[in-house]
Amino acid sequence: MQAPQGKRRLNISMTTKTKLEGLLFVLPGFLYTVAVLGYPLVYNFLLSLRNVDVRTFVRGTSTFVGLANFKALFSNPTFLLVLKNTFVFTFGSLVFQFTIGFALALLFAKRFKLAGPVRGLLLIAYMMPMSVTAMLGKNIFGVSGLINDLLLKVGLIQQPVEWLVNTSTAMIGVVAMNCWVGIPFNMLILTSGLTTIPDSLYDSAAVDGATGWQRFRYITLPLLRPAILAVLMLGFIYTFKAFDLMFVMTAGGPLNSTDVLGTYAYQLSFTKYQFSLGAATGMVLFCCLLVVGLFYLRLIAAEED
Amino acid sequence: MPMRVERILSSREARANAIYNIVAITIAVIFLFPIYWLVMMSFKSDAEIFSPVLTYFPRDFTIEPWLLNIRDKEFFMSLRNSCIIATMSMCLSMLIGIPAAYGMGRYKVPGRRIMLLAFLVSQMLPPSLMLTPMYLIFNKMGLLGTFWAPVVAISSGSIPFIVIILRSYFNSIPRSLDDAARIDGCNAIQSFFMIMLPAIKTGIITVAVISFLGGWNDLAYSMTFNVMPEMRPLTANIYKFQSKYGTRWNAIMAYGAILVTPVVLAFVFLQKYIVGGLTAGAVKE
Repeated sequence: MQAPQGKRRLNISMTTKTKLEGLLFVLPGFLYTVAVLGYPLVYNFLLSLRNVDVRTFVRGTSTFVGLANFKALFSNPTFLLVLKNTFVFTFGSLVFQFTIGFALALLFAKRFKLAGPVRGLLLIAYMMPMSVTAMLGKNIFGVSGLINDLLLKVGLIQQPVEWLVNTSTAMIGVVAMNCWVGIPFNMLILTSGLTTIPDSLYDSAAVDGATGWQRFRYITLPLLRPAILAVLMLGFIYTFKAFDLMFVMTAGGPLNSTDVLGTYAYQLSFTKYQFSLGAATGMVLFCCLLVVGLFYLRLIAAEED
Repeated sequence: MPMRVERILSSREARANAIYNIVAITIAVIFLFPIYWLVMMSFKSDAEIFSPVLTYFPRDFTIEPWLLNIRDKEFFMSLRNSCIIATMSMCLSMLIGIPAAYGMGRYKVPGRRIMLLAFLVSQMLPPSLMLTPMYLIFNKMGLLGTFWAPVVAISSGSIPFIVIILRSYFNSIPRSLDDAARIDGCNAIQSFFMIMLPAIKTGIITVAVISFLGGWNDLAYSMTFNVMPEMRPLTANIYKFQSKYGTRWNAIMAYGAILVTPVVLAFVFLQKYIVGGLTAGAVKE
């Protein structure tokens, strides 16, 4: 502020010098990201406009085909089913993981002895390898698995259901397993949002005679809005790109009923070797993520300023 | 009188506390039941696995399913590969990610908004999208069939994560600390290693654990880039294992339990680091 002349000049030269210094620290990470993610992303886009399959790739004879791959995809009923599945899977997971995660967050934001340790334990489901979760799902949703056994005991079903064999029920199985992973994540983010709401607000509302519901409706929800938006958008991004879960649990089956964009792109590229069609499927996946991603980035940018 | 009121209140609080604890434990038991199931199934005998009656606790407890894995040479190869891939990707991402986080957190670097945007966007790019282009690019570069292919790809996901988490850690170190270091004659590199890194030890442990587990959990990259089973980690060989042992769920569950072990260990010993890191990485600060 009122710095002497000499010191001020020193500051200016320091800043230019340190700016470059800072750049040297950041640059390797930035360049790595551009090279390992940015370049393949552009490559993928160009690939989706050509006709690269195993033959043209080896011979190097692929040609530019414009939007032909996208036309082929959108006129293919399987692809349309896959697209629908991806949205059903995403919204189905979001609804349950958000509602249950929120309920748990309300509990774990309370101050009691076991709040911290138990909350941490639940996170194991979020952090364990998805391939193991998927394998576990395959087992417990099996005909003689845990889910059928429990439902039979409670009397909700009379006969075992072949969850992962029927095209109409397989999606329920993968959504359930995905919620199991997503609930702790939602709980974590929402709990940390809840703990930022000062107690004094609730206390004074209680003094004014606000009911529990009113306090939730007029204090918790509005103040938690940024955390709610963040967790829904991140949830969308994390769920929409699903791959490991279906790949191990159902392999996208039966009859593509649990196939999503991620697994379908993989099949096109690595079992049919139609790389360009796989890349085009990837582009569709990317565009959907981008729309939600832009909203998320705007939210982050608002916080940043 | 006031004392009495206080005592009544605190006994009410104690009761609320007890109720919350009971509810929390009940939820944990229900929610973590699948993990109990995984472990318990891995100790059942073959006869029990194939019996039509489902048991909730092993009737005749056996470690045979675990031995079946441990006696398998391929299992150890996969375990070794998992360790190599997780360690390599942890080291690579920390080597590149920590300095980047330092630069982003401590300096007003030109173009830092663009760079932050790039890091945030790259966190959203899923393996399922990157598989095809990376496969073709790595193929041209001759990286397929080496550990570098999955490691480079996995790190591209961990580096932005590290930058976003540690940026705020570096930011919170008081300015006076590095000024003092400079006056004492430290250059930028020295002050980074000797002053800054020790100051954010907690953050370093957090990103080390999370990026190790990121590599450990990877399936898509390793499975796609390394076709040979000798190069594949445990996650990617589950598939092969399933066809090998068919419906021998006890052996498959033991395999799964071994895969989950590092995650459970990390939570038992390093819980506070992980919980804080996951929160900061998802919604910043």
